[in-house]
Amino acid sequence: MDASSPLKSSPPENLRDRCQTLDLVLQVNGRSRRVVADPRVTLLDALRENLGLTGSKKGCDHGQCGACTVHVDGRRVLSCLTFAAAAEGKHITTIEGLAPQEGDLHPMQQAFMDHDAFQCGYCTPGQIMSAVACVTEGHAETDADIREYMSGNLCRCAAYPNIVDAIKQAKPLMRERDA
Amino acid sequence: MTISESQVGPISEGGMFGKPVPRIDGRLKVTGAACYPSDTPMEDTAHAYLVTSAIARGKIKAFHLEDAKAVDGVLDILTWENMKGKVRSVRFFAGGGYASSTIMPMSSSKIWHAGQIIAVVIAESFEAAREAAYKVGVDYAVNKPKAGFDESRPQPRPMTNPLTRSDPATGDAEKAFAAAPVKIEAYYSTPTQHHNAIELFSTTCVWSGDQLTIYEPSQYVHGLKNGVARQLGIKPDKVRIISPFVGGGFGGKAALTARTAFIALAAQRLNRPVKLVATRKQAYTVSNFRAETQHLIKLGAESNGQLTSLSHEGWEVSSRPDEYKVAGTETTAVLYACPNIATRVNVIHADRSTPGFMRSPAEVPYIFAIESAMDELAVALHMDPVELRRINDTQINPITDAPYSSRALMTCYDTAAKAFGWASRNPVPGSMTDGDWLIGWGCATSCYPTNVAPAEAKVTLAPNGSVRVQSAGHDIGTGAYTALAITAAEFLGVPLERVSVELGDSTLPPAPVAGGSNATASICNAVADACKELRHRLVTAAVASNGPMHGLDRDMITFSDGQLRAPDGQSETLMAASARLGFGPIEAHAKYMPEIASKTIKLVGNAMLGKGLPIMASGTSAGDHIQYAFGAEFVEVRVHRRTREIRAPRIVGAFAAGRIISPTTARSQLMGGLIWGISAALHEATEMDHRFARYVNDDLAEYMVPVNADIQDVEVIFVPEDDTKVNALGIKGLGELGNVGTNAAVANAVYHATGQRIRDLPIRLENLL
Amino acid sequence: MRPFSYQRVDSVSAAVQAGRIDANGHLDAPVQFLAGGTTLLDLMKLDVMRPQRIVDINPLETSLSDIAVESGDVRLGALARMSDVADHPAIRKDFPVIAQSLKLAASAQLRNMASLGGNVLQRTRCTYFRDVSWASCNKRIPGSGCAALEGVNRKHAVLGTSENCIATYPGDFAQALLALDATVDIAGVQGDRTIAFRDLHVKPGETPHVETTLLPGEIITAFRIAGEPWMKRSLYLKIRDRESYEFAIASAAVALDLQDGIVRQVRIAIGGMATVPWRSEEAEAVLTGKPLDEERARQAAQAAFAAARGRGENAFKPELGRETLVRALLEAATLEF
Ligand SMILES: Cc1cc2nc3c(=O)[nH]c(=O)nc-3n(C[C@H](O)[C@H](O)[C@H](O)COP(=O)(O)OP(=O)(O)OC[C@H]3O[C@@H](n4cnc5c(N)ncnc54)[C@H](O)[C@@H]3O)c2cc1C
Ligand code: SF4
Ligand code: FES
Ligand code: FES
Repeated sequence: MDASSPLKSSPPENLRDRCQTLDLVLQVNGRSRRVVADPRVTLLDALRENLGLTGSKKGCDHGQCGACTVHVDGRRVLSCLTFAAAAEGKHITTIEGLAPQEGDLHPMQQAFMDHDAFQCGYCTPGQIMSAVACVTEGHAETDADIREYMSGNLCRCAAYPNIVDAIKQAKPLMRERDA
Repeated sequence: MTISESQVGPISEGGMFGKPVPRIDGRLKVTGAACYPSDTPMEDTAHAYLVTSAIARGKIKAFHLEDAKAVDGVLDILTWENMKGKVRSVRFFAGGGYASSTIMPMSSSKIWHAGQIIAVVIAESFEAAREAAYKVGVDYAVNKPKAGFDESRPQPRPMTNPLTRSDPATGDAEKAFAAAPVKIEAYYSTPTQHHNAIELFSTTCVWSGDQLTIYEPSQYVHGLKNGVARQLGIKPDKVRIISPFVGGGFGGKAALTARTAFIALAAQRLNRPVKLVATRKQAYTVSNFRAETQHLIKLGAESNGQLTSLSHEGWEVSSRPDEYKVAGTETTAVLYACPNIATRVNVIHADRSTPGFMRSPAEVPYIFAIESAMDELAVALHMDPVELRRINDTQINPITDAPYSSRALMTCYDTAAKAFGWASRNPVPGSMTDGDWLIGWGCATSCYPTNVAPAEAKVTLAPNGSVRVQSAGHDIGTGAYTALAITAAEFLGVPLERVSVELGDSTLPPAPVAGGSNATASICNAVADACKELRHRLVTAAVASNGPMHGLDRDMITFSDGQLRAPDGQSETLMAASARLGFGPIEAHAKYMPEIASKTIKLVGNAMLGKGLPIMASGTSAGDHIQYAFGAEFVEVRVHRRTREIRAPRIVGAFAAGRIISPTTARSQLMGGLIWGISAALHEATEMDHRFARYVNDDLAEYMVPVNADIQDVEVIFVPEDDTKVNALGIKGLGELGNVGTNAAVANAVYHATGQRIRDLPIRLENLL
Repeated sequence: MRPFSYQRVDSVSAAVQAGRIDANGHLDAPVQFLAGGTTLLDLMKLDVMRPQRIVDINPLETSLSDIAVESGDVRLGALARMSDVADHPAIRKDFPVIAQSLKLAASAQLRNMASLGGNVLQRTRCTYFRDVSWASCNKRIPGSGCAALEGVNRKHAVLGTSENCIATYPGDFAQALLALDATVDIAGVQGDRTIAFRDLHVKPGETPHVETTLLPGEIITAFRIAGEPWMKRSLYLKIRDRESYEFAIASAAVALDLQDGIVRQVRIAIGGMATVPWRSEEAEAVLTGKPLDEERARQAAQAAFAAARGRGENAFKPELGRETLVRALLEAATLEF
């Protein structure tokens, strides 16, 4: 933690006092972004409403669907159950940061296209962020593992078998790329 | 997984029909750039949060708004006290109007159902709006609600009076049943279900002067536009709906819901954009749902399996004011050859929100009942269930004798049975095992009427040779963007990359609701018509006296690889050809009228479409014939010997659905449908506390839908089918075909695994303990 | 979500000081520690929890997230994340019941966020508790009644219930801790203490709103297990409607010391069935010193659920619980190393 963070100082003794306003700097997709917000703002809402990064989706707001999945310090987490304030100082990657805007897609994005691993596309950013992590965690070694470790991302259109196929395609390509 | 391409002969020279291509909107979706309505960037937005009723029946005695108003950042609170009379009522969708329900929340203090919108809080931030919403105090006068069906089975009612009832019937089913040597008589039921698209119900309204723009995920932008305009008492051309991407619809975003007008009014009162993203919990009551159903089926058969009597009585639940029913007896009565048929559908009114479309509305619950009963009959007859279907297969409507335009049910069965390995099934229940798991194999028929609607589309050929397709249709994940691009590429002979498609905007030419599996058939035909018109103009210019193909037979000129081609090898690029037609783009606007449309639809169809009213020619009565798509579905279930949890690791479906325009997306649709079917059979049910007529598992942790680990092998097979009676392009539509037969196939497999016949869905482990 | 002030702390003593406040019970205290936040944010958004101050203890991660297996004993820091513990090779090998109970819980994302300390303190999934528009819930509003008694209660408890509350303790990991006789290290204003894990949770009785013996401001710092080689023969069996991402309808954690077919020691915990993490000494007694076969496993299961009481929709649960335990015992007996 940054010792100079204003948040370290004690809050007002009277706990019934109104909310603070926090002046946060978030590291999103390699850039420092300033967010001035109420401590109640979740990372998901900060991304979507404050920073215009609407690729991360809200499907439940309660950790039940996975649509809001992003990477924080390289780990997949649910941005709807993360306070923006608690993400300060960490490296946040969203679907927008997975590949440059123009040019080649990330192998996982390409694989999702190649295998039609979505229909409406609403769960897709979360699925892809989760899928990338699934591979880097080493949880994509068998079909059964992929299915289990991708079970935190609901797809109501039910593209599941195609998602598994996409991950199998992307896995060796990701390894090649990282090698 | 395999996929056999459906090739039924070329219709044009483009060579695009039936070719598996990636979705054209795929890149936007995998990069997060696809702009769903709640993603639209906007300045100075205020946020709305709904307050919904905690009681199902009664009145609001008083609001206590002091605490809510005291919350920092609260801007406005709407309740019936300030909204009364502000929103005009519009007619019910199922009655030919716009609204998903005639219940008008906040028009008075009356409460019709739990979860009804009773207040809307608007604040500077989402957080403040939510806090204030929780602080809205309400005093209710509570009456005891009726939640739905009573605990006991409904009593059958007399069915046979064809003079007074419109339910499909023929012969004397009762007498034939009494005389039948083999009989099945049983009750079946299906639970309340909710669409639960992953995208939440959102609405963002922005006024600019008297012009209202609404960003809302919609399966029917023209319906929404006209409906809201009428509610607000403004001209429809003052309202624009923008909904280019929809995060799943399944019927839940088809008709106008009450929320939209309130957000529009809130935006007007505050003179700034207002955005609502209703919560997941609220999604269970702010739109419609699939109501629970009950069924009494009686089948009588000869000992050779021939049906002699079929009767199907259904019971459905609706709200107090609206008579909504899906009445799937229209389909179950014509499914098999049988001389004596009786049907009846009853509606029970309760203190609930109004139900509505949910993926394959009519067929899903009714086919579950009849196809379970058919399996029971096969067991009673000691007959293979596939053979029972074969014996009773029909090519005509058994009531009217009108032929099916095409019906490849048994080809589907044979194809799927082979792929599944059905021949090695030991029919004795409980006889197939794998370690501690009991294995069951079951099958059932799937079918869905081929509905077609009037539709409009504009196709523009730009001077640079690119093609633009525009229609106010919708891609709710169905692949419409891709299917329409393929259609234009097919007829204009241009590469797919040269085609762009615009959908989901009410300023585009009107198109029907994305529902009833009509959209691909209807809009592709409109696009084809527009393309044909462009071809006509291009060919006319090419063979004209100053054209390069002067003197050639115009019918011999073809379009491929971006060129007009003559049989003698001469060619001209589309660019050059269109340049000769004049400077700038050339465009054609087609108004497609279904071939099967009745006289009335032909007369008023286009006007109704323009007004956003529901208008569709139904496959269940297409003039001199009936038209359906068919499929056969085979499922393997596994039930643990001790703890009885049920899994469905393998499913095969073979489908005959006419011409397949876009096999990639069609396959995904059918695959999704099959998984929906597994979900409905084993997982889904919206549970209710009957004492209060309130849902209790209204979130995604408690309302079960399958996760990735629930699904393993899903095989979709297309059975080629050429049927241009259904419409010129021979498209049958398949968005709703996949999940129709699955419920029964799973239940039949569970019977085969365990010997236990479960007639009430969903099937859960406690049913098998 | 009510307004609150947000504060980070960088030492356990600072956390304890910040959390020191008068309240009825730890979980309803106006000061809440933020670990993974997966319970806290969820319930704050639902207006069920309304803390006025959030003390973010994640900066303590450096000292409180160790996963240590030393000379056979285990120490798991309270801020260790579920996923890291589930994937830890020594835990997977020597204490499989721990790894399995964590791996089978929630989802990969939630496990990356959620801490062990937060996990054992997660709240019930009872719908009447989670939705503040229901008037009757003794756990949420003491004395208001219990809507679940006669309501929708398929997933509610059949063991450890009272007339005041039948809410199921929903977690998985806690059963593994019981099966390995874990202890909990706690820091508080009055100093540090260590208690048996089985003494952390309390049955609803007359006071369903009191769920643990933690005092306001007390912080869990670690879980400890005195390891034994036979704990390799342990497993967690979780039964649910769908294959993943669902709480248990029934579960069993079993650790078995089996020598030449004779049960020398066994520890059995049952999940998804009880108001608190549930240890069944009755079932253990049936097995200890005896050969383990189907018959004996059934007797143990009978004993485990002898006091079970279903009401309405959950009437099937004792039978499911018995089948689950029988299956878990027999599977544990046949484990090979
Ligand atoms: C959709 C969903 C599905 C889930 N499925 C499962 C499942 O199948 N099985 C399962 O076991 N769990 C499941 N969970 C629950 C999840 O595991 C818990 O929410 C999580 O473990 C809580 O840990 P946390 O660190 O996020 O706690 P937090 O939310 O940060 O804290 C929870 C509570 O504990 C207090 N607290 C946290 N750490 C400490 C500490 N060290 N000392 C004292 N007090 C502390 C907090 O003040 C708070 O009151 C699920 C959750 C969700 C949202
Ligand atoms: S079971 Fe407990 S938590 Fe649920 S309503 Fe009753 S008192 Fe509340
Ligand atoms: S929106 Fe975060 S998990 Fe659903
Ligand atoms: S693609 Fe629609 S929810 Fe997954």
